[in-house]
Amino acid sequence: MADTAREVMETRFFTLTPQHTLGQAARAFAEASAATGRRVFGMMVVDAQGRLVGMLSLYDILLAIRPKHIHLWGEMQDLELEGLLDRACCQAAALRVGDVMTTDLITVEPDTHLLRVIDLMLKKHVRRLPVVEQGRLLGMVYLSRVFDYLLDRLTAALPEGEGEGVHPA
Amino acid sequence: MLLRVDQKGVLTGVTVREAMRRQVVALLQTATVAQAIRSTIKFKVNALLVEAPDRRALGVVSKTDLMGAYYAGLPLDTPLEAVMVGPPLFCRPEDSLDAALEVMRRQRVHRLYVAEEPPEVAVGVLAYPDIVGVLYRFCHRCRRTLLKKGERGLDLANQVRVREVMTPGVASFPENARLLEVMEGLASQRLAAVLIRSLQGRPVGVVSKTDLILAYLHDLPPDTPVREIMQRPVVAVKQEETLEAALRRMIFADIHRLFVYRDQPEEMVGVLSLSDAARFRSGTCRACLASRIKVGGS
Repeated sequence: MADTAREVMETRFFTLTPQHTLGQAARAFAEASAATGRRVFGMMVVDAQGRLVGMLSLYDILLAIRPKHIHLWGEMQDLELEGLLDRACCQAAALRVGDVMTTDLITVEPDTHLLRVIDLMLKKHVRRLPVVEQGRLLGMVYLSRVFDYLLDRLTAALPEGEGEGVHPA
Repeated sequence: MLLRVDQKGVLTGVTVREAMRRQVVALLQTATVAQAIRSTIKFKVNALLVEAPDRRALGVVSKTDLMGAYYAGLPLDTPLEAVMVGPPLFCRPEDSLDAALEVMRRQRVHRLYVAEEPPEVAVGVLAYPDIVGVLYRFCHRCRRTLLKKGERGLDLANQVRVREVMTPGVASFPENARLLEVMEGLASQRLAAVLIRSLQGRPVGVVSKTDLILAYLHDLPPDTPVREIMQRPVVAVKQEETLEAALRRMIFADIHRLFVYRDQPEEMVGVLSLSDAARFRSGTCRACLASRIKVGGS
């Protein structure tokens, strides 16, 4: 068994298109979380041919909601803020995914060695890496899956007689 | 004595450090025009710093430059080094805000980048909306002083009307104008947005540089009629409204310009921008003057 991205990648994932609005994306995040049983904080964006064109993360959505002049309000304690969050969400919901997605993505190939995957995740501070073959999105490598995989291998590496583990406090 | 006090502006003693924004939105010189458009939309900024891989600032790409690239028919994957304007203008955190404003006015730029050491690496950015925040802080304190001193002072502070601060005249285009014509108008008149009128002359929408660069990102042909991308309704304010109320309205609606009408919304007479407000308040704010006279006189 080769220790590559293919071994740990999640092949069941949900995607967005650049034409989706952020409102539609929000619904897709909730649906993807429910369907996969894991909290989804980022989704890949693919074009009509299934090519990876970007990623929409929680951070992109928060930025889109944050009003342009928010830094002024610290000064304006007398400002009536009733209804402001709804208004900000309303404006953000109408934006298209393609308008705010991140496009300079770090990707790996299915045959990328797992140690290289770990190196990338550490160096670039990312928790998920898209697995791409000839531009097409094949799967996602999540830090948590890599960690589970490593835990098994680390446990297997324990010398005989040291397998007791820690005792619960 | 009074004269000397009068000349003291609201901003005296305030440094760039107190007003600057520490989040500098920057892209590499090899990033594309499409990435720059997404960044201006996502981070809600009017310009991006273009940096070399060693973080040295090379230039600035503003919405105007991005609109220019659309007008020129450049492909969306054009690298930023081909459209940026450089080198950027810098100030230092310890500079006085007055001096920085003076440089911005003289050089006709809307923002200065802030550097310490090394001198070409941006640690902050100073733009008009940031200065409005500082002004508000000072005026607010000032108003509290006025409150203590009685209602007459507060009345004075509220007497500044939109019509005194606005830029008179409203540039407009008919709703069937092509994006190309609107871009020409915005560029030649150095405007950020124009009013769009129906064929009968009624105000029906607004088109800003942001709308135009989004049209670029969405691959709309530049001969598209402007009605297809305009924002509606027109956010407008009556000219007799107080500056204070108009400022709040802009901040609440997350826009930086209001169209101003005389009596009826059909009768547009000017534009009030956040930077108009900033310029006004930094120089001849009546509220501030009033409070200083009171202090000086007691």
